[in-house]
Amino acid sequence: MKIRSIALPLTAAAFAAAVVVSAARAAEVTLNVVTAGSQNMVDYVTDYLGPMFEAANPGVKVRAVGTGPGDAGSQKIAEKLYAQKDAGKDSWDVDVAVVHQKMAGELVQKGVLSPFRHDVATGKLVTAADAKNALGTDVDGFVFPMFHSQTAIAYNPALVSDPPKTYAELVDWVKANPKKFGYNGIKRGMSGVSFVVGWIYANTPDAARLMGGPYDPNLKTTWSDAWSKLRDFNEGVTFTAGNAGTLDMLNRGEISMGPVWVDMFYTWKDEGRLPPNLKLQLIGPGMPGQPMYYVIPAKAANTEAAKKFVELATSPQVQAEGIVKKFNWYPGIDAAHLEGKLDEATWQKLFADVSPADLAEKGKTFPIASYFNDILEEYEKNVAK
Amino acid sequence: MRESRILTLLLVGPALALLGGLFVYPLGYSLVTAFVDEAGNAGWGNFRKAVDFYFIDIVFTAVIVSASTALIGVAAVAIGGYLVLGENPRAVRVLQWLYRWPLFIPFIVAGQCMRTFLAKNGLMNNALVASGVLDIDQTISLLDWRGLILTFVWKQTPFVALLVAGAMASLDRSTIEAARNLGASRLRILVEIVVPQVRRTLVVGLILSFVTMMSVLSVPLMISGDSPTMMTVDMAFRINFYGDYGVANALGFISYVMTGMVAWVYLRQGVREGGHR
Repeated sequence: MKIRSIALPLTAAAFAAAVVVSAARAAEVTLNVVTAGSQNMVDYVTDYLGPMFEAANPGVKVRAVGTGPGDAGSQKIAEKLYAQKDAGKDSWDVDVAVVHQKMAGELVQKGVLSPFRHDVATGKLVTAADAKNALGTDVDGFVFPMFHSQTAIAYNPALVSDPPKTYAELVDWVKANPKKFGYNGIKRGMSGVSFVVGWIYANTPDAARLMGGPYDPNLKTTWSDAWSKLRDFNEGVTFTAGNAGTLDMLNRGEISMGPVWVDMFYTWKDEGRLPPNLKLQLIGPGMPGQPMYYVIPAKAANTEAAKKFVELATSPQVQAEGIVKKFNWYPGIDAAHLEGKLDEATWQKLFADVSPADLAEKGKTFPIASYFNDILEEYEKNVAK
Repeated sequence: MRESRILTLLLVGPALALLGGLFVYPLGYSLVTAFVDEAGNAGWGNFRKAVDFYFIDIVFTAVIVSASTALIGVAAVAIGGYLVLGENPRAVRVLQWLYRWPLFIPFIVAGQCMRTFLAKNGLMNNALVASGVLDIDQTISLLDWRGLILTFVWKQTPFVALLVAGAMASLDRSTIEAARNLGASRLRILVEIVVPQVRRTLVVGLILSFVTMMSVLSVPLMISGDSPTMMTVDMAFRINFYGDYGVANALGFISYVMTGMVAWVYLRQGVREGGHR
C-alpha cells in the first residue's frame, strides 16, 4: 500500500516530464540539407553553415547528409525526390539540396523544385548566366549558385619551366615529355571529364554550339578526327586514379602536369599535401568549370526555414568567409559584391595563377546535357577501347 | 499437426519475406529491366550496347578474376600445406598468426593501401630503391592489371587459406605419415595426398572468392588504369553519368551468367558427391 502511494506520484511526474520533453522536441524543426559532392561539402554545412544558422534561428536544427561525389551524388538526390513525388507524399524530407549543374535541368523539367530564388533577398546579387540556364535548360529562379568551380592544369614549375598555354602546345609538350602528363580518364572523376570536354572544344569548330545548343544528334559523327588525335595523345599520358589521384601523383613527382579542380588544388596546398611551389595554368581555348546549386524541393517540409538558410548561405559575408576564404571556391554571387568583405591576400591567392581576365576568357561551361552524353559515349567508343 | 505447420510457417515467414523483398525482388527487377530499352520496348538493345561498348572490359574482368582465383588457390594451398606439413614449429606459429590479417581489411582500404604501395614512387619502390635493389629510373607503377591481381590475391587468399587449412588439419594424419615413412617429399605429399582430400573445400572457397571479386567496385576504381577496366566500373559509370540503368543491368546480367557458370560447377560437384553418399 505504502509503495503504491509513492509509486503513483513518481509515475505521474515521469509522465509529465516526458510530455514536456516531447513538446520541446516538437517545437524543434530539423532542416535536412542534402548535398552531393565530396566530404568537404558535408563538412561545410556541418562545421560552418549549420552552426551559424542554428545560432541565428533558435529551435532549428540543421542536419547535413552527403550523397557522395560527382554526378552520382546528384543522381541519388534526384532519385530520392522522384520517389517521394511518385509516392504522392505531401511533405518531402529534403529541405535544401546541393546539386550539380548536369542534374539541375532534369530536376526542373520533372517539376520537383520550387522557384524560390526571386523570393530571397540575396537573389538579385547573382547575374551569372548559369543561374538562369543550366546546360541548355532554363532554370531561372529554381537554382541559386552556391559557388563556381573551375578546372585548370596544375604543374610543377621546377620541372616545367614554360608550361603549355593551349591544348595544341600541350600536345607538343607531351610528345617531348612522354608519361609526364597525367589525367584520370572519364570514369574516375570530373577533372578528367573536364579535360576531355576541353579537348573537344579545342579540336572541333563546335564549341559555341555544344555549350549553347541547339542539339543535333548527328554532330557527333564529325568528331572522329578529334578522337583519333586524343587516342594518339593518350599513348603518351599516364592515367591517374581520380581527381585526388592526379594530385597524389603530382605530389609524389610521378607526373609533372595534370588537370585538377582549382579549389581542391588550393585546399591541398593549404593542408601541406602538395609542394607549395606548384602552380596553375588555365589553357586555351578553354576548360570547363561548373557551379553547384542550392535548390529547394517543391514540397520541402520546411520551405520557409529552407529559404532563410539559402539566404544566409548566399549572403556576401558567408560567400566571402566560407566559400572563398575557407574553401577556395569562386563565389556563387557576383564577385563585385564581395569587395570589402575579403582581405587582399585571400583575393590575390585565388586569382594569382588564373587571373579574372583568364577566367572570363577561358573559363567555359560544360556542354548542354545531350551533347555532354554524346561526348562521353563517343569517348568510350572511340578512345577508351 | 496442423498447429505445428502454422507455427513452422510463422517461424520461416520473416526470413522468407526478407529474402523475397531484399534479394529476389531486386534481382528479378534488374533482370527484367536489362531487357527493356530507354523507349520502354522489350529487346536485346541494352545487351547489344553493353557488348558493343564494353566487350573488352567483359573479357578483361573474366581474365583478371579467373587469374586471381587460380593464384589464390595456389597461395592458399601453399599456406595450408605449410601449416600441416611444416617442420619448423616457430615458422608455423608465425605463419598461422600472420596469414589471416588481410581477412579483416575491407576491399576499399586494401585498394587505398595498394594505391600508395604500388605507385611508381610508392612505398614498395621507395623501399627497393633505398635498399639498392632497384635504381630510381627502373621503377615502374604496378597500378594496372597487375595491381588488380595483386590486391585481389592479397585480400582473398586468407579466406580460402582459412577454409583449406581447417580441412587439412582435420584430415586423418595416418595417410600423411604413411607417405612420409615411404620417403615421399613434402611437396609430393601435399599435391598427391593432401590436396585431393580437401579438394571440395578448396573449390568452395575459390568459387566464393570468384563471386566476391566479380562484385568489387572500389578496387578497380582505385587501382586500374583508364581502359580496360572491370565491369563494375562500367556499371557505376552508366548509372552515375547517364542514369542508364538498362545497360548497367545488362552488364549485371552478363556478370550473373559468369558467376552462374561457376556456381553450376559447384552445384554439379555437390550433387555428384551427395549421390555417392
